[in-house]
Amino acid sequence: MSASDANSSAKTQTTSGGIGIANLPNQLHKIVTKKGTNLSIMVVGESGTGKTTFINTLLTTELIEPLEDAARRKKQMDKTVDINIHKAELEEKMFNVKLNVVDTPGFGDYVNNNDCWLPVVDFIENQYEQYLRQEQQPVRKGVVDMRVHACLYFIRPNGHTLKPLDVRAMKAIGARVNLIPVIAKADTLSPTALRQFKKRVMDVIDAQSIRIYQPPVESDDEAMTVRNKDIISAVPFAIIGSTQEVKTADGRHVKGRQYPWGVAEVENDQHCDFKKLRSLLIRTHMLDLISTTEEVHYDKYRTTQMKTRKFGEPKPRKVDNKKFREEEEMLRKRFTEKVKLEENRFRQWEQKLIAERDRLNKDLEQEHNLVKQLESEIEAISNVNSPNGKFFRK
Amino acid sequence: MAPSAPSINSTMSSRMATPRPSSYRYKSEKRGMTYNIMLVGQSGLGRRTFLNTLCEREVISPPEAPNPETANIADPMRFDTYEVNIEEEGTRISMTVIDTPGFGDGLDNTECFKQLQDYIEAQFDEVLVEESRIKRNRRYRDHRIHTLIYFITPTGHSLRELDIELIKRLGEYVNIIPVIGRADSLTVEELATFKQNVMRDIDYYKLPLYNFCWDESDSEALKENREIMDYTPFSVVTCDEVLDNEFGAVRVRRYPWGSIEIDDEGQCDFALLRYILLNSHIADLINYTEDVLYENYRTKKLEVGGFGEGEDQGDEENDEDDEVLGAKNE
Repeated sequence: MSASDANSSAKTQTTSGGIGIANLPNQLHKIVTKKGTNLSIMVVGESGTGKTTFINTLLTTELIEPLEDAARRKKQMDKTVDINIHKAELEEKMFNVKLNVVDTPGFGDYVNNNDCWLPVVDFIENQYEQYLRQEQQPVRKGVVDMRVHACLYFIRPNGHTLKPLDVRAMKAIGARVNLIPVIAKADTLSPTALRQFKKRVMDVIDAQSIRIYQPPVESDDEAMTVRNKDIISAVPFAIIGSTQEVKTADGRHVKGRQYPWGVAEVENDQHCDFKKLRSLLIRTHMLDLISTTEEVHYDKYRTTQMKTRKFGEPKPRKVDNKKFREEEEMLRKRFTEKVKLEENRFRQWEQKLIAERDRLNKDLEQEHNLVKQLESEIEAISNVNSPNGKFFRK
Repeated sequence: MAPSAPSINSTMSSRMATPRPSSYRYKSEKRGMTYNIMLVGQSGLGRRTFLNTLCEREVISPPEAPNPETANIADPMRFDTYEVNIEEEGTRISMTVIDTPGFGDGLDNTECFKQLQDYIEAQFDEVLVEESRIKRNRRYRDHRIHTLIYFITPTGHSLRELDIELIKRLGEYVNIIPVIGRADSLTVEELATFKQNVMRDIDYYKLPLYNFCWDESDSEALKENREIMDYTPFSVVTCDEVLDNEFGAVRVRRYPWGSIEIDDEGQCDFALLRYILLNSHIADLINYTEDVLYENYRTKKLEVGGFGEGEDQGDEENDEDDEVLGAKNE
């Protein structure tokens, strides 16, 4: 058989006895279990929407500690959006996950919130950039992958609709990463108000072409399909977060929030969508989140970058954040001032040296003159001593 | 059906029974006290429902469904005026409420403060002009804002830049009473911590809130007022529906896990706030606005040379002012 024949006719054959190809999934399972995985989740939203509590509730551990008073006061009028990364390693039944949670304090908290989503977007793109660069290195071992797999956007429930800030921010973020909208502090809306709010939010998302994460619905397992449909119908997820255990009226101990008028339970589907969101993030769709990030979002970034840049060229800097520009100006000013100071110092030193040299030269000349004088005296005396000399005086 | 006075301090109701020597109570009995309140706060904190619950009827109807196509554009702030006549324990109050939808809802809200300040100053200016007329209008309606109710977002942490800036800038022109909107999103401990943090911020930034204890002459009232100040900022929850149970009609807000009774002081400060606004402190708020805030404004304005006072300011300025007054009188 010639090579061309082999290429043109690829026959599909099922082996009768079974050579063992079907064992690949098991091998893969072993490899993945040993390797573990890397998961990055970002939480974006105004302060006080329950981001920290949600993360701590999700992970059943206090990963993010509440801010101290001094730190909080400093942030109040600070006018910047920070990016804080919290790392944790989770282990469950011999499977471990390296988890990164990215928090964005200061987002939407000020009087002027124009462009406050830029640091968020920059962070996401920078992670893609880092990964891209590392891929292009000769040695690819030990790649640090901080690409964000899911971004939870916390919407404050004002009972009407999305704010312009939410619309602009979600549009920018959703184009670059898996965006999952979440209604924060859902225990402040009555069930009818909540339904209406969800509908309005989805209407705006559609009308404004905001791209949100769409989990795959169809699956081989009937039960999975039903569950998936259930999850999708709950978007945006209304959540309540709590790390405390409280006792309900009928004596159960649950995770929830205790009010004088009742207990709002975190894991009760009648009260909020926490379980569905947890399922989406971890139990059922974690892999899909990771693969969509790599195959869709990262790939899009890679394609656009490679079209315009040569291999190995650094990324051109975009228009910076205004606040960073100001800082840059300040630093530049300080630097020039320092340089000026040093130059002055050197000049003075030079002057001193020149003055010193002149002084020494003068001394030298004086000495020289003295020497000359003495020399001429000696000559005069020796002339007197010589035969054809003049009178000599004693 | 007015909710009964809160049982916090029984002497408060007795204060109302004995008329205080304020000119307002006597003169305005027939017409009804003129009382102007402004509601300020970001959308979704319950300003509209607060007013409806306060007046026990739907004064402001629910807004129309927002248009999803324009959700990315912020509506500019506007001033909506509502006239409500209330009868509170025998006193007639002719209340004007000014709502400010659009405050703090845009991307850049730096202009909002100036707009509010201009509005409040405009009301003062109107009175200033009216006072200086040769022939005054007997039916003149005073539009000066007596109380500004500011709705704080229940973040559970502390004040935000918007809150701090607003109180800082407007505190010298109007009585500001801080209120926690949607307070039912906070548990009992969270509410206590939040109130504490807010008051600490207010001390730290020296924010000029309405000082309930401004009148130090009446020592009994002073004691009461100190107790009231411990409740600030007032937690407010607003009414969704009225239930009928064995005790009569109860105003509630219902959740799958329980119902809040709006008028129960153990659950929120609405009843107390209502009592303060419409009953025990209405005269104080009005008097402070007229005797202190307005007078300060007037002094400042006249020092700068706005209305013709002071011959030593130069003939040019006087002529200008005469022109203004002359024009207004025609």
